[in-house]
Amino acid sequence: MVIDTRVCVGCSACVYACKQENSVPEGYCRDWVVQESGGEYPKLTMENRSERCQHCENAPCVTYCPTRASHYAEDGTVQINRSLCTGCKACMAACPYDARYVHPEGYVDKCSLCKHRIEQGLETACVSICPTGSLNLVDFNNMDEKTKELLKGKIVYRQKEHAGTEPSLQWISASNKPGA
Amino acid sequence: MLATAVNEIVSTKINPNVVPHLHIWEWHIPLYLFLGGLAGGLLVITSIMIVLKRKFGIGPRDQGDGCPCLAVRIGSVLSPTLLGIGMLFLFLDLAHPLYVWAFYTTIQPTSPMSAGSWILIAFFPLAILQAMLVNKRQLRSFNIELINKVIDWTENHMTIVALVNAHIGVGIGIYTGILLSFFSARPLWSSSILGMLFLVSGISSAAALMLLLAPEDEKPVYSMIDANAIWIELMTVGLFVLGGLTGSANTHGAMMHLITGDINLAGMSYMFWFWGIFIASGLVVPLLLEFLEAAGVHIKFPNVAPVMVLFGGLILRFLIVFAGQTYHTFM
Repeated sequence: MVIDTRVCVGCSACVYACKQENSVPEGYCRDWVVQESGGEYPKLTMENRSERCQHCENAPCVTYCPTRASHYAEDGTVQINRSLCTGCKACMAACPYDARYVHPEGYVDKCSLCKHRIEQGLETACVSICPTGSLNLVDFNNMDEKTKELLKGKIVYRQKEHAGTEPSLQWISASNKPGA
Repeated sequence: MLATAVNEIVSTKINPNVVPHLHIWEWHIPLYLFLGGLAGGLLVITSIMIVLKRKFGIGPRDQGDGCPCLAVRIGSVLSPTLLGIGMLFLFLDLAHPLYVWAFYTTIQPTSPMSAGSWILIAFFPLAILQAMLVNKRQLRSFNIELINKVIDWTENHMTIVALVNAHIGVGIGIYTGILLSFFSARPLWSSSILGMLFLVSGISSAAALMLLLAPEDEKPVYSMIDANAIWIELMTVGLFVLGGLTGSANTHGAMMHLITGDINLAGMSYMFWFWGIFIASGLVVPLLLEFLEAAGVHIKFPNVAPVMVLFGGLILRFLIVFAGQTYHTFM
């Protein structure tokens, strides 16, 4: 996924679309919106961004899961097999992004990158609802021209890369905005 | 000019298990880690005492028929018992306890919790066998055929059983710390010396428990083991603290959060629990008391020192588990 923070207005549509599509219980969320402000007046900067599980290529949650409940799916996403999850919470302690929570029904839950929708050829709920086109579903192994154009010449970052997790989410920094 | 710059993050994340900080393990896990360490320590001490007596003739007088001294006999029974109780707390902590079988459908070599769940199972057969062999006189009086047969088959191999158990005990003791130290996302836990600290703390707590239970004539041995273990534990905790303080911003901050932290735990700050209860009353004072006892200055209440050591060991687990969660995630 490529998240273009230049156009994110922090509306939280992604959060509520996800909650409805995935029946996320009240008081929990699989994705969330962060507003980061910094700098010194009058040179202040602000970045809005939608965050979720990073579907790491070297995911500590998968490494530490004692029962194979957390695993890599064939498409490279990180998924949870609820029928193997004991709720030991080792994956939650292992995740440097705090992307997981304990579902009230007794298993650990997180963003599945709407696997059920992607299998039907649909986009994820969050991508489909984003009113500004900030969220872009991308296959990094097979990038289309539109994505290449989107990323071209921009400052793009991944979060906590130094954790060695190889996260699969990329953010186009708000510092790419004209005049930023 | 950098000093006046701001960086503020506002998030809509609401998950109570990770906001405002990690909140996944409460009292069950520290209690389990304490009981696991105690069980490992008891197995190490009792099995070494058996080997020393059998091979080198060192230690308190045996109680006849190949049954070792009373504290070794009680300690050998307590070790698997306490681990069993600890595992009950571990079970109760699971969000879905009925799926506990899933631990035993696979071996995940990269998961400390998977390795731990198998070590816990491997612990019981030989620990229980040792508990039976050291109490064989009492067990034979029940005249249960199966138990008599097990004792008959194995009683000539008590030294080997004890030797293997000494290693399993060390394994359990280290595992209780490794369980936390593999989480690089949690800066306080991410220290490889945590395994050694929990092992030594488990041994000192076990020696303190045996000191409490031992009859008068056996007490000096356990007092000596306890004093030595406390001394090594002081060194190890010193290295743990130094390792944190001299580490990166993540580990330095996490260590300061523990040793100078003002977060309230049962009415007192982390700082007071760490220095006042764990270091001073859990290690330094009992070490002095046991040193005085060994020097011939008899203390009016000799049970005070071991009780303080046991309480200090329990508090260490609570502090590490809680402070590791209340400090922010790896940045």
